[in-house]
Amino acid sequence: MKGTIVKRMIKIGLIALLWPLSPPAQAQAPATAIGGAPVWNELKGEKLEALRLKGDPARGAEAFVICQGCHKHGATGTVSGAYPRLAGQHATVLIEQMTDIRSGERKNPKMERFSDEHVLTTQEIADIAAYLQALPITPNLGRGPGTALARGKALYTRDCAICHGDRGEGKAEKFYPLVAGQHFKYLLREARFIRDGKRGNANPDMARVIKSYSDDDLEAVSDYMSGMATP
Amino acid sequence: MPQDSPSHKPRTQGGRRPYHAVLMLGLVLSGSVWADDAEKARTIVAKICAACHGMDGNGTAPNFPKLAGRHPEYLVRELKEFSSGKRKSEIMGPIATALDPDDYKALGAYFGGQKPTSGQVLDTAAAASGKQLYQDGNESKGIPACGGCHEADGSGNKRFPRLAGQHREYLIAQMYNFKKDVRSDASSRLMREVAKLLSDDEIKAVAEFLTGL
Repeated sequence: MKGTIVKRMIKIGLIALLWPLSPPAQAQAPATAIGGAPVWNELKGEKLEALRLKGDPARGAEAFVICQGCHKHGATGTVSGAYPRLAGQHATVLIEQMTDIRSGERKNPKMERFSDEHVLTTQEIADIAAYLQALPITPNLGRGPGTALARGKALYTRDCAICHGDRGEGKAEKFYPLVAGQHFKYLLREARFIRDGKRGNANPDMARVIKSYSDDDLEAVSDYMSGMATP
Repeated sequence: MPQDSPSHKPRTQGGRRPYHAVLMLGLVLSGSVWADDAEKARTIVAKICAACHGMDGNGTAPNFPKLAGRHPEYLVRELKEFSSGKRKSEIMGPIATALDPDDYKALGAYFGGQKPTSGQVLDTAAAASGKQLYQDGNESKGIPACGGCHEADGSGNKRFPRLAGQHREYLIAQMYNFKKDVRSDASSRLMREVAKLLSDDEIKAVAEFLTGL
Protein backbone atom coordinates (compact mmCIF):
# COMPACT_ATOMS: atom_id res chain seq x y z
CA MET A 1 0.00 0.00 0.00
CA LYS A 2 2.73 2.39 1.08
CA GLY A 3 4.79 1.30 -1.92
CA THR A 4 1.92 2.08 -4.26
CA ILE A 5 1.55 5.59 -2.85
CA VAL A 6 5.27 6.19 -3.19
CA LYS A 7 5.19 4.89 -6.77
CA ARG A 8 2.26 7.11 -7.55
CA MET A 9 3.98 10.13 -6.06
CA ILE A 10 7.08 9.40 -8.12
CA LYS A 11 4.87 9.13 -11.19
CA ILE A 12 3.15 12.43 -10.47
CA GLY A 13 6.55 14.00 -9.82
CA LEU A 14 7.81 12.71 -13.16
CA ILE A 15 4.74 13.97 -14.96
CA ALA A 16 5.20 17.38 -13.32
CA LEU A 17 8.85 17.42 -14.33
CA LEU A 18 8.21 16.35 -17.91
CA TRP A 19 5.08 18.43 -18.32
CA PRO A 20 6.66 21.38 -20.11
CA LEU A 21 8.19 18.98 -22.64
CA SER A 22 5.31 16.69 -23.26
CA PRO A 23 2.38 18.48 -24.92
CA PRO A 24 2.85 18.48 -28.68
CA ALA A 25 2.57 21.77 -30.47
CA GLN A 26 -0.76 21.01 -32.10
CA ALA A 27 -2.51 19.28 -29.24
CA GLN A 28 -3.48 19.82 -25.66
CA ALA A 29 -3.24 16.91 -23.28
CA PRO A 30 -6.41 15.94 -21.48
CA ALA A 31 -6.51 15.83 -17.70
CA THR A 32 -4.14 13.33 -16.16
CA ALA A 33 -5.57 10.36 -14.32
CA ILE A 34 -4.28 11.03 -10.86
CA GLY A 35 -7.22 9.21 -9.34
CA GLY A 36 -6.39 6.08 -11.36
CA ALA A 37 -9.53 6.18 -13.51
CA PRO A 38 -8.84 5.58 -17.18
CA VAL A 39 -8.43 8.82 -19.07
CA TRP A 40 -9.92 9.39 -22.49
CA ASN A 41 -7.33 9.76 -25.21
CA GLU A 42 -4.29 9.68 -22.93
CA LEU A 43 -1.36 11.09 -24.85
CA LYS A 44 1.29 8.46 -24.51
CA GLY A 45 3.17 5.84 -26.48
CA GLU A 46 2.86 5.92 -30.23
CA LYS A 47 0.07 8.49 -30.18
CA LEU A 48 2.27 11.02 -28.43
CA GLU A 49 5.20 10.13 -30.67
CA ALA A 50 3.14 10.61 -33.84
CA LEU A 51 1.71 13.92 -32.57
CA ARG A 52 5.22 15.22 -31.98
CA LEU A 53 6.51 14.20 -35.39
CA LYS A 54 6.32 16.68 -38.23
CA GLY A 55 4.00 15.27 -40.85
CA ASP A 56 4.96 15.73 -44.47
CA PRO A 57 1.94 15.98 -46.82
CA ALA A 58 3.91 14.85 -49.89
CA ARG A 59 5.14 11.71 -48.16
CA GLY A 60 1.65 11.31 -46.74
CA ALA A 61 0.14 11.29 -50.22
CA GLU A 62 2.39 8.38 -51.13
CA ALA A 63 1.75 6.49 -47.90
CA PHE A 64 -2.01 6.99 -48.24
CA VAL A 65 -2.05 4.91 -51.41
CA ILE A 66 -2.50 1.77 -49.33
CA CYS A 67 -5.59 3.27 -47.69
CA GLN A 68 -7.32 4.06 -50.99
CA GLY A 69 -8.63 0.54 -51.45
CA CYS A 70 -11.20 1.42 -48.79
CA HIS A 71 -11.14 5.18 -48.22
CA LYS A 72 -10.93 5.87 -51.97
CA HIS A 73 -8.98 8.38 -54.01
CA GLY A 74 -9.23 11.79 -52.45
CA ALA A 75 -10.20 10.14 -49.15
CA THR A 76 -13.88 10.59 -49.88
CA GLY A 77 -14.91 7.42 -48.07
CA THR A 78 -18.05 5.66 -49.21
CA VAL A 79 -21.68 6.77 -49.12
CA SER A 80 -22.61 3.39 -47.65
CA GLY A 81 -20.89 4.58 -44.49
CA ALA A 82 -18.57 1.58 -44.41
CA TYR A 83 -15.60 3.95 -44.65
CA PRO A 84 -15.60 7.56 -43.48
CA ARG A 85 -14.52 10.54 -45.47
CA LEU A 86 -11.08 11.53 -44.15
CA ALA A 87 -10.33 14.54 -46.35
CA GLY A 88 -10.16 17.71 -44.30
CA GLN A 89 -10.25 15.96 -40.94
CA HIS A 90 -7.99 17.42 -38.24
CA ALA A 91 -4.54 15.83 -38.19
CA THR A 92 -4.75 15.38 -34.42
CA VAL A 93 -8.00 13.44 -34.74
CA LEU A 94 -6.58 11.28 -37.54
CA ILE A 95 -3.48 10.45 -35.49
CA GLU A 96 -5.62 9.70 -32.47
CA GLN A 97 -7.86 7.34 -34.44
CA MET A 98 -5.09 5.61 -36.39
CA THR A 99 -3.03 4.92 -33.29
CA ASP A 100 -6.09 3.86 -31.29
CA ILE A 101 -7.13 1.41 -34.00
CA ARG A 102 -3.59 0.07 -34.21
CA SER A 103 -3.40 -0.42 -30.44
CA GLY A 104 -6.86 -2.00 -30.41
CA GLU A 105 -8.25 0.71 -28.16
CA ARG A 106 -10.73 1.65 -30.85
CA LYS A 107 -12.42 -1.55 -31.88
CA ASN A 108 -12.23 -1.71 -35.66
CA PRO A 109 -11.24 -5.21 -36.76
CA LYS A 110 -11.64 -4.34 -40.45
CA MET A 111 -8.96 -1.71 -40.28
CA GLU A 112 -6.83 -3.11 -37.47
CA ARG A 113 -5.56 -5.97 -39.61
CA PHE A 114 -4.25 -3.47 -42.14
CA SER A 115 -2.70 -1.18 -39.56
CA ASP A 116 0.32 -3.29 -38.72
CA GLU A 117 3.60 -1.44 -38.24
CA HIS A 118 4.94 -3.14 -41.37
CA VAL A 119 2.13 -1.58 -43.35
CA LEU A 120 2.39 1.84 -41.75
CA THR A 121 5.20 3.39 -39.71
CA THR A 122 4.60 5.97 -37.00
CA GLN A 123 6.14 8.62 -39.25
CA GLU A 124 3.74 7.61 -42.02
CA ILE A 125 0.81 8.04 -39.64
CA ALA A 126 1.94 11.62 -39.03
CA ASP A 127 2.52 12.13 -42.77
CA ILE A 128 -0.88 10.76 -43.75
CA ALA A 129 -2.58 12.94 -41.13
CA ALA A 130 -0.85 16.04 -42.53
CA TYR A 131 -1.81 15.06 -46.07
CA LEU A 132 -5.46 14.37 -45.27
CA GLN A 133 -5.95 17.47 -43.20
CA ALA A 134 -5.00 19.61 -46.19
CA LEU A 135 -7.02 17.67 -48.76
CA PRO A 136 -9.96 19.48 -50.32
CA ILE A 137 -13.32 18.19 -49.15
CA THR A 138 -15.91 16.97 -51.61
CA PRO A 139 -18.99 18.31 -49.86
CA ASN A 140 -21.94 16.30 -48.59
CA LEU A 141 -21.52 13.10 -50.56
CA GLY A 142 -23.61 11.01 -48.22
CA ARG A 143 -26.49 13.10 -46.94
CA GLY A 144 -29.15 11.57 -44.74
CA PRO A 145 -32.84 11.30 -45.65
CA GLY A 146 -33.44 14.91 -44.58
CA THR A 147 -36.62 13.93 -42.80
CA ALA A 148 -35.79 15.04 -39.26
CA LEU A 149 -33.53 18.02 -39.77
CA ALA A 150 -35.35 20.31 -37.31
CA ARG A 151 -35.16 17.72 -34.55
CA GLY A 152 -31.56 16.99 -35.47
CA LYS A 153 -30.63 20.64 -35.35
CA ALA A 154 -32.27 21.09 -31.94
CA LEU A 155 -30.38 18.11 -30.51
CA TYR A 156 -27.13 19.18 -32.11
CA THR A 157 -27.40 22.73 -30.80
CA ARG A 158 -28.27 21.53 -27.32
CA ASP A 159 -25.78 18.69 -26.92
CA CYS A 160 -23.14 18.58 -29.62
CA ALA A 161 -22.21 22.11 -30.66
CA ILE A 162 -20.32 22.79 -27.45
CA CYS A 163 -17.58 20.39 -28.58
CA HIS A 164 -18.06 19.86 -32.31
CA GLY A 165 -18.70 23.54 -32.96
CA ASP A 166 -21.68 25.50 -34.29
CA ARG A 167 -20.68 24.61 -37.85
CA GLY A 168 -19.58 21.05 -37.10
CA GLU A 169 -15.97 22.07 -37.52
CA GLY A 170 -14.67 20.22 -34.47
CA LYS A 171 -11.64 21.34 -32.52
CA ALA A 172 -8.19 20.11 -33.51
CA GLU A 173 -6.41 20.75 -30.23
CA LYS A 174 -9.12 18.98 -28.25
CA PHE A 175 -9.29 16.00 -30.66
CA TYR A 176 -12.94 16.76 -31.47
CA PRO A 177 -13.53 15.67 -35.05
CA LEU A 178 -14.92 17.68 -37.90
CA VAL A 179 -18.39 16.20 -38.44
CA ALA A 180 -19.91 18.59 -41.00
CA GLY A 181 -20.80 16.79 -44.21
CA GLN A 182 -19.58 13.38 -43.08
CA HIS A 183 -21.45 10.42 -44.54
CA PHE A 184 -24.80 10.02 -42.77
CA LYS A 185 -24.49 6.27 -42.44
CA TYR A 186 -21.01 6.51 -40.98
CA LEU A 187 -22.10 9.12 -38.43
CA LEU A 188 -25.06 6.98 -37.47
CA ARG A 189 -22.98 3.81 -37.11
CA GLU A 190 -20.39 5.46 -34.92
CA ALA A 191 -22.97 7.33 -32.84
CA ARG A 192 -24.63 3.98 -32.11
CA PHE A 193 -21.28 2.41 -31.23
CA ILE A 194 -20.53 5.27 -28.86
CA ARG A 195 -23.95 5.18 -27.22
CA ASP A 196 -23.85 1.40 -26.86
CA GLY A 197 -20.26 1.24 -25.62
CA LYS A 198 -18.94 -0.54 -28.71
CA ARG A 199 -16.46 1.96 -30.08
CA GLY A 200 -13.72 1.35 -27.56
CA ASN A 201 -12.13 4.79 -27.53
CA ALA A 202 -15.26 6.93 -27.22
CA ASN A 203 -15.08 10.10 -25.22
CA PRO A 204 -16.97 9.21 -22.03
CA ASP A 205 -18.48 12.69 -21.93
CA MET A 206 -20.11 12.09 -25.29
CA ALA A 207 -21.25 8.62 -24.32
CA ARG A 208 -22.92 10.13 -21.28
CA VAL A 209 -24.61 12.88 -23.29
CA ILE A 210 -26.14 10.54 -25.87
CA LYS A 211 -26.89 7.68 -23.49
CA SER A 212 -30.57 8.54 -23.42
CA TYR A 213 -30.80 9.09 -27.20
CA SER A 214 -33.23 6.85 -29.06
CA ASP A 215 -32.31 5.42 -32.46
CA ASP A 216 -34.54 8.11 -33.95
CA ASP A 217 -32.61 10.81 -32.10
CA LEU A 218 -29.30 9.45 -33.39
CA GLU A 219 -30.69 9.36 -36.91
CA ALA A 220 -31.99 12.90 -36.65
CA VAL A 221 -28.73 14.35 -35.41
CA SER A 222 -26.67 12.34 -37.94
CA ASP A 223 -29.00 13.53 -40.66
CA TYR A 224 -28.42 17.12 -39.60
CA MET A 225 -24.62 16.77 -39.41
CA SER A 226 -24.37 15.06 -42.79
CA GLY A 227 -26.08 18.08 -44.34
CA MET A 228 -23.97 20.74 -42.62
CA ALA A 229 -21.88 22.81 -45.01
CA THR A 230 -18.30 21.56 -45.20
CA PRO A 231 -15.49 24.00 -44.48
CA MET B 1 52.52 23.27 -73.61
CA PRO B 2 50.83 25.18 -76.41
CA GLN B 3 47.35 24.81 -75.01
CA ASP B 4 48.35 26.97 -72.05
CA SER B 5 49.96 29.64 -74.16
CA PRO B 6 48.18 33.00 -74.46
CA SER B 7 48.05 32.59 -78.23
CA HIS B 8 45.24 30.02 -77.87
CA LYS B 9 43.00 32.17 -75.80
CA PRO B 10 41.13 33.94 -78.60
CA ARG B 11 39.99 30.62 -80.03
CA THR B 12 38.10 29.78 -76.87
CA GLN B 13 35.87 32.85 -77.21
CA GLY B 14 35.93 33.70 -73.56
CA GLY B 15 36.03 30.09 -72.45
CA ARG B 16 32.64 29.12 -73.86
CA ARG B 17 33.78 26.70 -76.48
CA PRO B 18 35.69 24.37 -74.11
CA TYR B 19 32.67 24.43 -71.79
CA HIS B 20 30.45 23.29 -74.62
CA ALA B 21 32.96 20.68 -75.63
CA VAL B 22 32.98 19.24 -72.12
CA LEU B 23 29.20 19.28 -72.02
CA MET B 24 28.95 17.54 -75.38
CA LEU B 25 31.51 14.96 -74.35
CA GLY B 26 29.49 14.34 -71.18
CA LEU B 27 26.30 13.87 -73.15
CA VAL B 28 27.95 11.53 -75.62
CA LEU B 29 29.51 9.53 -72.81
CA SER B 30 26.33 9.26 -70.77
CA GLY B 31 24.45 8.33 -73.91
CA SER B 32 26.86 5.58 -74.70
CA VAL B 33 26.83 4.38 -71.10
CA TRP B 34 23.06 4.22 -71.28
CA ALA B 35 23.22 2.35 -74.57
CA ASP B 36 25.79 0.03 -73.04
CA ASP B 37 23.47 -0.65 -70.08
CA ALA B 38 20.57 -1.45 -72.37
CA GLU B 39 22.76 -3.70 -74.50
CA LYS B 40 24.12 -5.41 -71.41
CA ALA B 41 20.63 -5.91 -70.04
CA ARG B 42 19.55 -7.44 -73.35
CA THR B 43 22.50 -9.86 -73.20
CA ILE B 44 21.67 -10.88 -69.63
CA VAL B 45 17.99 -11.30 -70.48
CA ALA B 46 18.83 -13.48 -73.49
CA LYS B 47 21.17 -15.64 -71.45
CA ILE B 48 19.34 -15.87 -68.13
CA CYS B 49 15.80 -14.46 -68.01
CA ALA B 50 14.26 -15.15 -71.40
CA ALA B 51 13.89 -18.91 -70.97
CA CYS B 52 11.17 -18.34 -68.37
CA HIS B 53 10.04 -14.72 -68.76
CA GLY B 54 10.38 -14.39 -72.53
CA MET B 55 12.72 -12.09 -74.38
CA ASP B 56 10.01 -9.42 -74.39
CA GLY B 57 8.94 -10.09 -70.80
CA ASN B 58 5.71 -11.74 -71.93
CA GLY B 59 6.74 -15.34 -71.37
CA THR B 60 4.10 -17.94 -72.14
CA ALA B 61 4.78 -20.37 -69.29
CA PRO B 62 1.87 -19.70 -66.92
CA ASN B 63 3.86 -20.40 -63.78
CA PHE B 64 6.39 -17.64 -64.55
CA PRO B 65 5.21 -14.06 -64.35
CA LYS B 66 5.15 -11.66 -67.24
CA LEU B 67 7.50 -8.79 -66.43
CA ALA B 68 6.78 -6.52 -69.40
CA GLY B 69 5.55 -3.09 -68.39
CA ARG B 70 6.22 -3.51 -64.70
CA HIS B 71 7.65 -0.45 -63.03
CA PRO B 72 11.47 -0.59 -63.14
CA GLU B 73 11.74 0.34 -59.45
CA TYR B 74 9.42 -2.50 -58.51
CA LEU B 75 11.49 -4.98 -60.51
CA VAL B 76 14.70 -3.79 -58.83
CA ARG B 77 13.10 -4.10 -55.39
CA GLU B 78 12.01 -7.66 -56.08
CA LEU B 79 15.46 -8.65 -57.35
CA LYS B 80 16.93 -7.24 -54.13
CA GLU B 81 14.39 -9.12 -52.04
CA PHE B 82 15.10 -12.38 -53.88
CA SER B 83 18.85 -12.03 -53.42
CA SER B 84 18.58 -11.06 -49.75
CA GLY B 85 16.19 -13.95 -49.15
CA LYS B 86 13.42 -11.65 -47.93
CA ARG B 87 11.28 -13.00 -50.73
CA LYS B 88 11.83 -16.72 -50.89
CA SER B 89 12.03 -18.48 -54.23
CA GLU B 90 14.07 -21.56 -55.01
CA ILE B 91 14.33 -20.39 -58.59
CA MET B 92 14.77 -16.64 -58.33
CA GLY B 93 16.86 -16.67 -55.13
CA PRO B 94 20.00 -18.16 -56.68
CA ILE B 95 19.51 -16.27 -59.96
CA ALA B 96 19.18 -12.86 -58.32
CA THR B 97 22.17 -13.66 -56.12
CA ALA B 98 24.30 -14.65 -59.12
CA LEU B 99 23.43 -11.43 -60.96
CA ASP B 100 25.52 -8.34 -60.39
CA PRO B 101 23.36 -5.95 -58.31
CA ASP B 102 24.78 -3.16 -60.48
CA ASP B 103 22.79 -4.65 -63.36
CA TYR B 104 19.44 -4.69 -61.54
CA LYS B 105 18.57 -1.17 -62.64
CA ALA B 106 19.27 -1.89 -66.30
CA LEU B 107 17.23 -5.09 -66.11
CA GLY B 108 14.37 -3.21 -64.49
CA ALA B 109 14.50 -0.58 -67.21
CA TYR B 110 14.64 -3.28 -69.89
CA PHE B 111 11.56 -5.19 -68.76
CA GLY B 112 9.76 -2.03 -67.74
CA GLY B 113 10.18 -0.78 -71.29
CA GLN B 114 8.69 -3.86 -72.95
CA LYS B 115 5.14 -3.74 -74.23
CA PRO B 116 2.83 -5.86 -72.06
CA THR B 117 0.34 -8.25 -73.64
CA SER B 118 -3.13 -9.27 -72.49
CA GLY B 119 -4.32 -12.79 -71.83
CA GLN B 120 -7.55 -14.50 -72.84
CA VAL B 121 -10.54 -14.54 -70.51
CA LEU B 122 -12.03 -18.04 -70.38
CA ASP B 123 -14.75 -17.54 -67.76
CA THR B 124 -16.59 -14.29 -68.39
CA ALA B 125 -18.90 -14.63 -65.37
CA ALA B 126 -15.92 -15.05 -63.05
CA ALA B 127 -14.15 -12.12 -64.72
CA ALA B 128 -17.21 -9.93 -64.14
CA SER B 129 -17.35 -10.66 -60.43
CA GLY B 130 -13.58 -10.33 -60.25
CA LYS B 131 -13.85 -6.91 -61.83
CA GLN B 132 -16.25 -5.76 -59.16
CA LEU B 133 -14.04 -7.01 -56.36
CA TYR B 134 -10.98 -5.46 -57.99
CA GLN B 135 -12.64 -2.08 -58.38
CA ASP B 136 -14.85 -1.85 -55.30
CA GLY B 137 -13.56 -4.39 -52.81
CA ASN B 138 -16.11 -5.89 -50.47
CA GLU B 139 -17.35 -3.52 -47.82
CA SER B 140 -19.15 -6.02 -45.65
CA LYS B 141 -16.10 -8.27 -45.48
CA GLY B 142 -13.74 -5.32 -45.22
CA ILE B 143 -11.81 -6.27 -48.36
CA PRO B 144 -10.09 -3.25 -49.90
CA ALA B 145 -10.40 -2.62 -53.62
CA CYS B 146 -7.28 -3.99 -55.33
CA GLY B 147 -7.23 -0.96 -57.60
CA GLY B 148 -6.51 1.29 -54.63
CA CYS B 149 -2.87 0.21 -54.75
CA HIS B 150 -2.44 -1.52 -58.13
CA GLU B 151 -4.19 1.31 -60.02
CA ALA B 152 -7.67 1.18 -61.50
CA ASP B 153 -6.38 -0.31 -64.77
CA GLY B 154 -4.03 -2.80 -63.06
CA SER B 155 -0.97 -1.06 -64.49
CA GLY B 156 0.76 -0.91 -61.09
CA ASN B 157 3.37 1.58 -59.98
CA LYS B 158 6.75 1.64 -58.31
CA ARG B 159 5.45 0.15 -55.06
CA PHE B 160 2.80 -2.24 -56.35
CA PRO B 161 3.29 -4.54 -59.32
CA ARG B 162 1.45 -4.45 -62.61
CA LEU B 163 -1.24 -7.14 -62.61
CA ALA B 164 -2.97 -6.41 -65.91
CA GLY B 165 -2.53 -9.23 -68.41
CA GLN B 166 -0.69 -11.45 -65.95
CA HIS B 167 -1.10 -15.24 -66.21
CA ARG B 168 -4.05 -16.32 -64.08
CA GLU B 169 -2.10 -19.34 -62.84
CA TYR B 170 0.71 -17.12 -61.58
CA LEU B 171 -1.71 -14.70 -59.92
CA ILE B 172 -3.56 -17.51 -58.18
CA ALA B 173 -0.32 -19.14 -57.02
CA GLN B 174 0.89 -15.86 -55.54
CA MET B 175 -2.41 -15.23 -53.78
CA TYR B 176 -2.03 -18.58 -52.04
CA ASN B 177 1.58 -17.72 -51.23
CA PHE B 178 0.27 -14.64 -49.45
CA LYS B 179 -2.61 -16.50 -47.86
CA LYS B 180 -0.34 -19.23 -46.47
CA ASP B 181 2.41 -16.82 -45.41
CA VAL B 182 4.91 -18.20 -47.94
CA ARG B 183 5.51 -14.62 -48.97
CA SER B 184 6.38 -13.65 -45.45
CA ASP B 185 8.46 -10.53 -46.00
CA ALA B 186 7.46 -7.40 -44.12
CA SER B 187 6.44 -5.49 -47.22
CA SER B 188 3.83 -8.12 -48.10
CA ARG B 189 1.96 -7.78 -44.84
CA LEU B 190 -0.98 -5.98 -46.39
CA MET B 191 -1.35 -8.54 -49.17
CA ARG B 192 -1.27 -11.41 -46.69
CA GLU B 193 -4.16 -9.84 -44.84
CA VAL B 194 -6.10 -9.25 -48.05
CA ALA B 195 -5.50 -12.82 -49.27
CA LYS B 196 -6.75 -14.27 -45.99
CA LEU B 197 -10.05 -12.48 -46.50
CA LEU B 198 -10.54 -13.88 -50.00
CA SER B 199 -12.31 -17.15 -50.75
CA ASP B 200 -10.97 -19.58 -53.38
CA ASP B 201 -13.69 -18.43 -55.78
CA GLU B 202 -12.86 -14.77 -55.21
CA ILE B 203 -9.17 -15.40 -55.89
CA LYS B 204 -10.04 -17.19 -59.12
CA ALA B 205 -12.44 -14.44 -60.15
CA VAL B 206 -9.97 -11.58 -59.64
CA ALA B 207 -7.25 -13.53 -61.48
CA GLU B 208 -9.63 -14.18 -64.37
CA PHE B 209 -10.45 -10.49 -64.64
CA LEU B 210 -6.81 -9.40 -64.49
CA THR B 211 -5.66 -11.89 -67.11
CA GLY B 212 -7.91 -10.23 -69.65
CA LEU B 213 -6.75 -6.66 -69.00
